[in-house]
Amino acid sequence: MLTLGEYIRLYFLIEAQYIKGQMQYRADFLISSVGMFFSSLATLSIFVVLFNSIPDLAGWSLMEMVFIYAFYMIAISPMQILFDAVWFLRYKIQSGEFVKYYFRPMNIMFYFMSERFDLKGLTQLAAGIALLAYSSIRLGLVWPVGKVLILILAVFSASLVLISIAVMAGSSAFWVVNSYPVLALAWKVREFAPYPITIFDGIFRFAFTFILPIGFIAFYPAQFFLRPAEISPLFYLAPLIGIGLFALTYKVWDLGVNSWTGTGS
Amino acid sequence: MRGYFAFLRGAMLVGVVYRLGFLFTILGNIVYMIIAYFLWRSIYAGKEILNGLTFDQALLYIALGSTIFILLKTYTDWGMAEEIRSGTISVYLTKPIDYQLYNLFSTIGFASTSILTVTLPTIFMLFFVFRIPFVLGAGYLFFPVSLLLAFIINFNMDYAIGLSAFYTESIWGISTTKEIIVSVLSGALLPLQFFPAAVQQVLMVLPFQAMFFTPLMMVTKPDQNAGVFLQMLAVQALWAAVTYVASRLLYNQAIKVLRVAGG
Repeated sequence: MLTLGEYIRLYFLIEAQYIKGQMQYRADFLISSVGMFFSSLATLSIFVVLFNSIPDLAGWSLMEMVFIYAFYMIAISPMQILFDAVWFLRYKIQSGEFVKYYFRPMNIMFYFMSERFDLKGLTQLAAGIALLAYSSIRLGLVWPVGKVLILILAVFSASLVLISIAVMAGSSAFWVVNSYPVLALAWKVREFAPYPITIFDGIFRFAFTFILPIGFIAFYPAQFFLRPAEISPLFYLAPLIGIGLFALTYKVWDLGVNSWTGTGS
Repeated sequence: MRGYFAFLRGAMLVGVVYRLGFLFTILGNIVYMIIAYFLWRSIYAGKEILNGLTFDQALLYIALGSTIFILLKTYTDWGMAEEIRSGTISVYLTKPIDYQLYNLFSTIGFASTSILTVTLPTIFMLFFVFRIPFVLGAGYLFFPVSLLLAFIINFNMDYAIGLSAFYTESIWGISTTKEIIVSVLSGALLPLQFFPAAVQQVLMVLPFQAMFFTPLMMVTKPDQNAGVFLQMLAVQALWAAVTYVASRLLYNQAIKVLRVAGG
């Protein structure tokens, strides 16, 4: 087994090679970074246009929605930047190329995920941080050190939920090969994470809290900073949900890795 | 012409192989519609009418919009980029076939499977499960033609995006950017009536509204004068022609830079 230090050193080595390879597609990289930025602005522009017609959404103001969305953008960045490889698992399974990961003396998930590093995700992260700062100022929020630490922990937990959903959806490739529809489904549902979970009632609020936990991606954590008085006790469960879900995802991945029998080629 | 139908059939058969994919697509669309239902319910929150649309009309617009989005997402540009990057495009270029027509027919083949497995079941569900009231009107008769024109405009744009792979080899950026611009400016995510009046005027002279807003309005407000619908169709036809000519011209330029190694 490798030590943590060795893994970190390896990560940088693999990443450096990947970025060199990507530099072949320089024009695409530049357009992608701009595209990523516009993509973040798209949802925001929909909010702004929508709030022209309505004073609030389920009691939440435009600026509060911007804050929730900014939190979401930051939380999704680690998945975008570090786990982008899930989208390509199906090709490696289909072609049989995935077999190479079994022959390296290191963790398979680590090696597979480290082979891609999505630089354009950094634009999204930067835009998210800028928006969070802007909406905090407009809302008059104050950030003592304790609250900043809670913010970091909250982002970490939400990121784990997002990473878990994506990796679990991508892992379906081990069984169904073409995991694209499953990934596309997960991707579509996650787009609704920045909306207040309070718009749902009954069974659906329960489902989006516990079964497809999109409420933990942005709404429950953002509520803590925006309206601490209304906070749901569920917020304190977020780190547990994040870590628990990731552990479960790792089990599913491991099961897939162990049950995959190759393509025979 | 018969040769091109073989491409159509081929693409349909490929679609049938990935049956499981359609199942997940339908499932995803159902989840989307449930979320959209709750979201729009809280947007209306007791209001009868917003920007000239009732809640039922807005919900029909949004849900059908997401269904048409799936129908128009045919991955033509991705397929072309892969053919250009790997060089398999030379197989088609050396045969006496037109590359754009070949792509059009494959795309129609792909989409016709999707109409049967995703579009029609969703429309059925909207009226029978979500119980959106059915308003009788001429709009339904014009809708299929409008959808076909939207499909052609969308195809021409995708084709042009695919051609850009001649220059950049990878098209993630330009394809994603196009998709976002289209989804916001075409009214696919939000009816154009919700935009400020000045913005609406600009959006109405762009080609994007012809892809979503026009066909969706035919179903959302079907009880209008036939003249109104004919005028809408004329605008769509004009955009279909303009995008077709533009994509042809782009092809003539792009083909000059193609270099396929070996083969």
